[in-house]
Amino acid sequence: MIVKTILIFLIGLLGYSEWLTGTSFLQRPIVLGPLVGLVLGDMQAGIIMGATLELAMIGAISVGAYNPPDLISGTVLGVSLAIQAGAGPEAALTLGIPIATVMLAVNTGLGQPLMLLFIHKCDRDAEQGNIHAFNRDMFIAGYLQNIWGILCIPLAFYFGTEAVTKILGVIPGFVQTGMDITAALLPALGFAMLAQTMMNKKVAPFFFVGFFVVAYMGLTTTGVAIFSICLVLIMVMFGAFNKNKPVAAAEEYDGGGFDEF
Amino acid sequence: MNFRIHSNYDKELTKKDLMKVFWRSIPYEHSWNYERMGNVGFTFAMYPVLKKLYPNKEDLAKAMKRHLTVYNVTPYISTFPMGIAAAMEEANATQEEFNEESISDVKTALMGPLSGIGDAFYWGTLRVIATGIGCTLALKGNILGPILFLLAFNIPHYIIRYICTFLGYKLGSESIAKITASGLMESVMEAASIVGMMVVGAMTMEMTAINFVTQVGTGEEASTLQDILCGIFPGLPTLALFGVVYWMLKKKMNPLIIMLILLVFGIVGAGLGFLGL
Repeated sequence: MIVKTILIFLIGLLGYSEWLTGTSFLQRPIVLGPLVGLVLGDMQAGIIMGATLELAMIGAISVGAYNPPDLISGTVLGVSLAIQAGAGPEAALTLGIPIATVMLAVNTGLGQPLMLLFIHKCDRDAEQGNIHAFNRDMFIAGYLQNIWGILCIPLAFYFGTEAVTKILGVIPGFVQTGMDITAALLPALGFAMLAQTMMNKKVAPFFFVGFFVVAYMGLTTTGVAIFSICLVLIMVMFGAFNKNKPVAAAEEYDGGGFDEF
Repeated sequence: MNFRIHSNYDKELTKKDLMKVFWRSIPYEHSWNYERMGNVGFTFAMYPVLKKLYPNKEDLAKAMKRHLTVYNVTPYISTFPMGIAAAMEEANATQEEFNEESISDVKTALMGPLSGIGDAFYWGTLRVIATGIGCTLALKGNILGPILFLLAFNIPHYIIRYICTFLGYKLGSESIAKITASGLMESVMEAASIVGMMVVGAMTMEMTAINFVTQVGTGEEASTLQDILCGIFPGLPTLALFGVVYWMLKKKMNPLIIMLILLVFGIVGAGLGFLGL
């Protein structure tokens, strides 16, 4: 258990290193889920739970003022507690999402002020020309913001497993089925949130093209992605974008309509 | 396409200096804060360039302070404004009459448009495609899912991040005016958002499931409500679910509340037996 807790801590730390490593999406549930699964000896379950969480949280990205829940603690704890309790992906969801929401509040409310202390230290370091201190303070600042998540993950994993197993044992059957059903419903919310940030009159029909191609023909998403890229290239060939438009018309969608929301 | 990205290093800065900026741009968001956002990350990336251009300690401190003001841009294309800033810092260091305030002006002016394109392309198109490919496999328990997810996102990400460094430097402060005037920017954004939208539509249908299991009719003609709804057109229940959720979001309902509503709906549906797996 101690070894597992240390490994879970390291996975959490890797997740919170997301921004140090180029915002490369190491923190997404689809990546962290399998790692947690690997540590707990059920990689298969980790992959599936990670993907389930990923779909439910696909809209959780920091665009504009929207602040996404803390996916890292949500995924690591949700998946690890669910696997330890022998439960399915729906348990990972029901556990992970509240954790992610609470940790966002904790990291923002208690982590940001700590971080800002060091951001201000960076100002002083720059003024004094002390680049080593500048680098060090930058490094510390980034982790301080998420210090509560970094500490909470191993603690909650170590102390929480037994409690979660007990709770899941007394939940009636139809609630568990209901949670399963909800796990399948939740992607709709994720996609709706995503669509909201992208939707405008010009591109709205293409949502339905993608939707019905799958509904009627059973194509996979990858297939639709390939066809849509071909479609766009064909449209470029036939000059669908801008070619014959006067300058005034081009100005009309300045900013691309993504600012609408 | 010929970007000719490695040329015009006739003054102080070399390709090597810009490579340093590229590498140091990677932790750009690590110190992202609510007060001045990417300021420290931007300065960290600019440091090798500034150090070379301003050997005098006071000038260096002044230049670093200049970059410690508010800055925000999509991390994957942060090298573009960094390249531009490098070109302008170089001009500032070598030309007497250069107005150093213009560096901050140009940087600030680029924040909006660059983030608009960057967010739309990376979050809305590339990530959606990567997630689509990854989740399709991962839901079946295939380890290739997460691996392909990371590769599909990060290979284009790092190539563009690299190109942007030199492109930004080369085009200097003129670049945005040029690109905007040619109408290229709008075209690229429109095309990218079409691909993104189609993939979102496809994923909605493929990965969302709602199943009304209420029995209609008896004996031989028995069927479920789901079959009847899908008889009108396939995917009707899913589309209706999506529509309702979309409408709730449009009404500015908190996503967390919607999540709870869906949870209650799912459990009640299972309890009363009209929803199934």
